[in-house]
Order: sequence, then C-alpha cells, then structure tokens
Amino acid sequence: MSILRNRTATAAIVAVAAGALTLTACGGGDSDSSSKDNSKQKEDAKSQSKPVQIGDAQASTGPAPDVEGAKSGGVATVYQATDFSHLDPGQIYVSDGKLLSRLIFRGLTQYDEDENGNLTVVGDLATDAGKESDGGKTWTYTLKDNLKDENGNPINSADFRNTVERLYSNYITDGPTFLQQWLSGDGTTYRDAYQGPDKGKHLPDDVLETPDDKTIVFHFDTPRPDLPQMLTMPGYQLVPEETDTKEKYDSAPVSVGPYKISDFKPGKSMTLVKNTQWDPKSDSVRHQYLDGFNISMNHDDEDQTKTLLADQGEAKNAMMFTGQVATTQLQKVVGDKQAMENRTIQGYAPYVWQLNFNMDRIKDKKLRDAISLALPSDAVFKADGGAYGGEVANSLMSPTTPGYDEKFDPFNREKKPNGDVEAAKKLIKEGGFEGKSLVYAYGNTPERQKQAVLIATALEKIGLDIQKKEIDSATWYEQVGKVKNGYDLYMTGWGQDWPSASTVFPPVYDGTQIQDGASNYSHINDDHVNSEIKRIQKITDTDEATKAWAELNEYISKEVNPAAPIYYTKVFQIFGSNIGGIRYSSDSSYVDVTRVFLKK
Amino acid sequence: MLQFLIRRSLGAVLILVLISAFTFFMFFAIPQDPAMLACGKNCTPDALEIIHKNLGLDKPVTVQYWNFLIGIFAGRDFAVGHCAAPCFGVSFANNQNVWDTIMDRFPLTVSLTVGSLVVFLIVGLGAGLLAARNRGTWIDKVFSSGSLVISSLQIYFLGPLVMLALVYSTGWLSKPKYVPFSENLGGWFAGLLIPWLVMATIFTANYTRMSRSSMIEQLQEEHVRAARAKGMSGNYTFFRYAWRGSLVPIVTILGIDLSSLMGGGMVTELTFGLAGVGRLALESVTNKDLPMLMGVMLVSAALIIVFNLIVDAMYAVIDPRVRLS
Repeated sequence: MSILRNRTATAAIVAVAAGALTLTACGGGDSDSSSKDNSKQKEDAKSQSKPVQIGDAQASTGPAPDVEGAKSGGVATVYQATDFSHLDPGQIYVSDGKLLSRLIFRGLTQYDEDENGNLTVVGDLATDAGKESDGGKTWTYTLKDNLKDENGNPINSADFRNTVERLYSNYITDGPTFLQQWLSGDGTTYRDAYQGPDKGKHLPDDVLETPDDKTIVFHFDTPRPDLPQMLTMPGYQLVPEETDTKEKYDSAPVSVGPYKISDFKPGKSMTLVKNTQWDPKSDSVRHQYLDGFNISMNHDDEDQTKTLLADQGEAKNAMMFTGQVATTQLQKVVGDKQAMENRTIQGYAPYVWQLNFNMDRIKDKKLRDAISLALPSDAVFKADGGAYGGEVANSLMSPTTPGYDEKFDPFNREKKPNGDVEAAKKLIKEGGFEGKSLVYAYGNTPERQKQAVLIATALEKIGLDIQKKEIDSATWYEQVGKVKNGYDLYMTGWGQDWPSASTVFPPVYDGTQIQDGASNYSHINDDHVNSEIKRIQKITDTDEATKAWAELNEYISKEVNPAAPIYYTKVFQIFGSNIGGIRYSSDSSYVDVTRVFLKK
Repeated sequence: MLQFLIRRSLGAVLILVLISAFTFFMFFAIPQDPAMLACGKNCTPDALEIIHKNLGLDKPVTVQYWNFLIGIFAGRDFAVGHCAAPCFGVSFANNQNVWDTIMDRFPLTVSLTVGSLVVFLIVGLGAGLLAARNRGTWIDKVFSSGSLVISSLQIYFLGPLVMLALVYSTGWLSKPKYVPFSENLGGWFAGLLIPWLVMATIFTANYTRMSRSSMIEQLQEEHVRAARAKGMSGNYTFFRYAWRGSLVPIVTILGIDLSSLMGGGMVTELTFGLAGVGRLALESVTNKDLPMLMGVMLVSAALIIVFNLIVDAMYAVIDPRVRLS
C-alpha cells in the first residue's frame, strides 16, 4: 500500500506526516524516550511479522468473547481530519475507510486478533477462512445462516457475485485490484475480459461460480494461497445486489456490520447507529457495545491531540480513528504519565520509506551501494519524526511484514545509523564517481525539504554533486511514477496491504510491472527477481513462502540494490478517559475499533 | 431606485460570467490533472482515461464550459444521477452535488458572519462613540491604544489562545461546533460563541478607530456646532446630527469588510475545525475540484455583489443628498 498515491492518500499523508514526530518537539529528550519505548514496540512488531494463521469453522463462530470490563451503551465521538475518501467498499483502499468498514461492512473473511497482536484469518460472513482445492487454484466459501443486511434482506451468494462483478465496472476507479487481476488478468486487462454486471453479463462459471444460494467458488489459473487474507480487505466487503445503486453507492452504502450510517454530511460529519439486523452470533470478532459513533470531521491532528489530552466534557468520550499525536503536542503527551499509561497506544505502521535509485540512470551497483552506505538515516527520520514517529530501517521489509529479520542489515544501519562515510567514499573512489552529478527529487513539504538538505549534504561529503529538484507534493507520485521522470534519486513509502510480502515485492520490484503510474519506482528489472516473485506467489505453504520472500529481500538488497532503506513509520494515538477497550491493532495499524466501549 | 437596481443587476450578471470564464479556463492552465484526484493506487494511463471519460474531462474545454453554464439554468445529467438547476455540477472529489454541498455549508458561514458582525458592530461602534464622546480622557486613551494593539492580532493566533484558556485548560466553554439554530438555539449560540468573539475582536479594533475619528470629525462640522449654538443638548446633537453623518465612511468600510468576513470566515473555520463555505473553498483549491471551486467562487462573488448593492443603497438612506441615479 503506497502512502501517497491518491486522493485518499491525503488522509494517509496527514496521518503518516503527523505520525512522524519531530525531534525538536521532544526538546532533546528524544533518545531517552526512544530507548524507553522501542523494546516494547519491537515485541509488538514480532507479533505483526509472524505469518498469519488460518482459523477453522469454530474460530469463525460468534459471538465474540467479551472484552474485559466492557459495558454497553453510550455514544463515542470520533475526531477525523478529513472526510472518508469513499464509502463504496469497492473503492476503499486507505486506513480511515478501513476502520469505518470494520464497523459497517462485512466480507467473506476477517482477521481475529489476540491480546498479543497475533492474527488469524477466520470466516466473517463465510463459515470459515475458505476451503482450497486443486492445489490452491480453487477456493470455496459457504455463507453462514440467517445473514441479513441493514434492510433485513437475506444475504446470499448472488450478492457476492455482484460484489465481485461490480469491481469491473468503470465507476470503480479506486480500490484494490488484486481479486480482479487474479481472476481475469494482470494490469488493467481484467477490464477487457469483463465490463461489469451492468451489461447484463456475468463472469463465467470457470472464474466465479455460485452453484447455490450459499456457496461461492473462485477459480484461478494459478495457486492463490493469500486469498483468505486478501478477502479481508475493505475493497472486497459485501455490496448486496438488490440495493446496489452503482455510482450512487459511494454516498449511501448499505450496512451489514454492527453499525449503520444514519446521517452523513459529506465533509462534516457522520452518525453511526446500531444495525439491529446484525446478529452477534454470526460474528466471531466484532462487538456492539456502543449505541453509536458521532464522527466529526475537520479536526487536524493538533486539534485532536489538544482536545483529547485536555479530556474536558465531550472529549472524555472521544477517540481518534487515524489521527495521531501531533508533533507540537508530543512533549505534553509524553509528559502526562496518566495519559501515557491509560489513554495512548503505540505501534508500527507498515510503511517503509526508501530512497529509490532510478536504475535507468544509475546503472552501476557500486554507486548505488555507496549512496546507500552514506545515507544519514537517523537524521533523515528525525527530520520527519522522533522516536514516536518512526525508526531507522535496516531493511526494505517492514517489521510488520512476515519474514522481517532485524539482523539483516546490509548497510550497517545499526552501528552507523547516520551513514558509513568512509566505506561509501571507498566505493566512490573505486568506481571513479567523484564529482558525478545526480538529481535528487523531493516534495515541497517542510519535512521533505529538511530531509533533502540532509541527504544532499551527506552525498556531497562522499564526493557526489547533488542537484536538488523540488516538486509539488500534490503531484509527487504522478511525477516520480513516470518511467522517464528525469530524476536519479527520490524517496517513496510503501506498506503491505495484508501481512505478507506478497503485497510488497510484486508491485514494487517486479520488472514486468514497469509502466507510467506503476509502483516499481526504481525500475528494477532483474530476471532472478522477476522469476522468484512469480514462483513464490504460487507457494501455498505460508511458512515456506515467508522464508522465500525473506531470501528474496536479501537478494534484492545485496545483489541489485534498487533502493536504500531509510526508516519505518510508527503510530501514536491518544483517547478520551472514558473510552474503554482501546488497543493497537496489528491488522489496521491503528486502534481496534471493533471492541470499543464507554467505561461509564 | 428601480432603474439603479436593474442596471446594477445586469452588471452583476456580466461580472459573474467573466469570473466563471476566468476561473474555468485558468483551472485548465494549471499543469495538473484533476483526474488524479479520483485515480487510485493503480493509476495507470488506462485507469486515467476511464476517469477522464467519467468526469467529462475528455471533451474540449469550451464544450465543458458551455455544459457548465447550461447546467446552471437547465440542470444536467451525470452518472450519479440528474442534477437539477441550479446545477454547478458534481464534485470531482466525492461525486456530491455541488449546489447541495454549498447550501449545506452555507448556514454555518452565514451564522459566523452575522454573529461576528453583530458583535463587532455593537462593540466597535460603541467603543468608538464612547472614545469620541470622551475625547482626550483616559477612556479615549484606553480604547484608542487598545484597538491599536488588538488590530495587530490575527485569528489564527488569538483563536488557539482563547481555546487554550477557555476550553482545554478550564473547560468553561465547549469546543466550537455548529448546531443549526432551528434544532437547538442554545447549542447554536454556545457552539459559535468563541469563533464569534475571536473573529469580532479582529474587526472591532478597526471599527472603534474608524467610528471615533469619523465622529470627532462630524462633531467639528458646522451643522453640529450650529445645533449646539441653538441650545440643543450634547447627547441630542451627538446622536441626531453627528452620528448619522459619521456612518457614511463606516458603511463604505463595512461593504468592503463583508467580503473580508468571507475570507476571515475561512481562517476562522480552519482555526476552529468548522466546516463552512470558506473551508470548502480551500479544499476545492487543494483538491483541484473544479466544479466545487466554480460553485464556491460564483456564490461568493454573487454575495459580494449583493452586499455592495445593499451598501450603495444604504448611502441614500443615510445621506439624503446621495441620489442613486
């Protein structure tokens, strides 16, 4: 998941940028707080980076176990910076929409998370996480009994056929495309294979089959072991056929989850109330402790943090969704012992910030290695955040991705977090790169500008001539996403769509995916990498696949080095004192909204 | 008067057409593709092409502009449904009807503007008159120097300070929010009290200084001195003769400030997390949301024209020597 790709990314930009808390705000106390918190978060990350388990039918049966101390009743206020980019599940691809979707939508599968953050895929509307056959090429799901949408209409397999088929329609322009591509073809060719149900046609039975009212069968031309995880994405949540208003659905979706939308004023507010048609016995994860949520928009991170830290009046019952403790308020929050112990959560976000080398222009690996070694990662991440906002990255894999190895440190980040200038200089000399001119592109935000100075200074120290090129941050990914972008170096962020490297390596390092607008920003096109990606994607054993991705990660950094890891991002949130059940979610990387209650 | 109104209205229509054309064609001069707004993570050239078609951006700009103008009077059909006149289109960002969105945000902006207007006119004019009445005394000095200090403040500075003092630290007042007064009059008042006070404080200073100087000038006019010489009381000449004359420059400034209030409203809305037309304008610019931008621009321009029309008409009411013809 790119952090800065689309308009929905605005929310993610805000979240990540705000989550990137500055060193100056710590007043020099950053190193202390860093050492205090990192150990716990490393442990949390270990849970996140464990391969996801597959639950059985029993694990998929509701009701969900009670949350300790939970009480029913009351309405929580949610502060949001911006409106939700989309309400049509098929178009939801970012975190704020994901959190909302956990409350109002349901799909075939969902994650069940234990107290340690370990994830298990269980059936949501389906009886289990899916039954595979034909070596993982065929997956069968059976719907649970007595499922209804908010209007009381029964849910059947035709609704899921509609959910999948409408993703091919031209009005679905955002959202994930994994399922469509797996069923009908890579890139945008799936749109040529099928144009959506509006034309009166259905996907052929050898692709999507609904033999009876309760059974849905997916047929793929290659093993798809990640399907149960992929189907947890909000983009694949149910859109009932009878009430599918197509283009208009994005303004007024139909709920299947524990809450439904009772009032929505775009850009201003949204009110959620209990969905009385939701049956807790059909849901093994979600709760319905609250009577509802009042979501109030237009509260930036600073406003949210000040209000929640002050904890006055309505704020006692208020919470963040994807908001973060604001940079300017960090010192106050960290200094409030009571708030830190009882009202905050922290954890890793899945994003890795890396410096991409445009391999069409920087062809010599020795030069790429020299730059990687010279990067002052610690200073760069601190220009964008302190200990609560991020951490120096040792690898292109995030600590949240299964297969992450904290010992794999090809550029010696642990011992030389601000760069190994001598080693870099040696490579520059060996390659004869002294005085070589390179164009470093960066967005025109204060954080990126500070980072540009740090990176340019460090690279000039090893003898390179860095030409800084500032780009409007609003069009950043449009500019660097062009194959012939004219830049040598540029930073991008990427995070997993679900806890698997299969959502990181194929989009970012597969050489067959190079085109304008694609996410292979370094334009790496290595035969071994390309073939390994194809091979690993077919491995049905999760542990084996995880090991293979980790090995590919090492190969990419050691043998090709298309991008230098710089830093990982973290999440830090605060809540009102009367909000109960708060915990960090390994799935969403934000608060777990399915178990929130009011203490009194 | 009727002739004046017809002439000015025709001029207003011409101005609005020019503003709409300028905004529309300038938008397409920006080297950015508004379709990117709706293009997701898989934003390939093919995906962009689909969005261009969905948004009507595949048509020539002149055709798009003509369709836009027609839509205002006759309505238009979009993929998300029919948009009845006055149709300013549907937002590129969220497919919402532009006119409905503006009308939804409008009550807050009107509440903010009218509320702060009432506060700063009462306080500003009152303080100015008091200072003029007590010229040279400590009252005059306090109001004059105080207004000088206050006029240097900004909403984005004063707002957070007031919030810190009255909301975050003490909890004396509730966090600003908009509740329609038709739903809850008390909630409407309590929710907007802080924004009104902060916004009004900035404007009050100017009106204190303006009314003071204008009043002092009027008190030295011959007709006022003649009234005093005839034996009329100080208060009577102050309010009956001098005050009315002093209003002319104040009304002129008020006409200009009404448009500033719209701008001030934007800052106030951002400072206090309120969603009015000002914030909508800013969002439409940052999102490259042309239909919303056009809607906000035209509605705001129309309002400013109407305000100025009212101000011009008020001259005749205040000063009988002024003839609108």
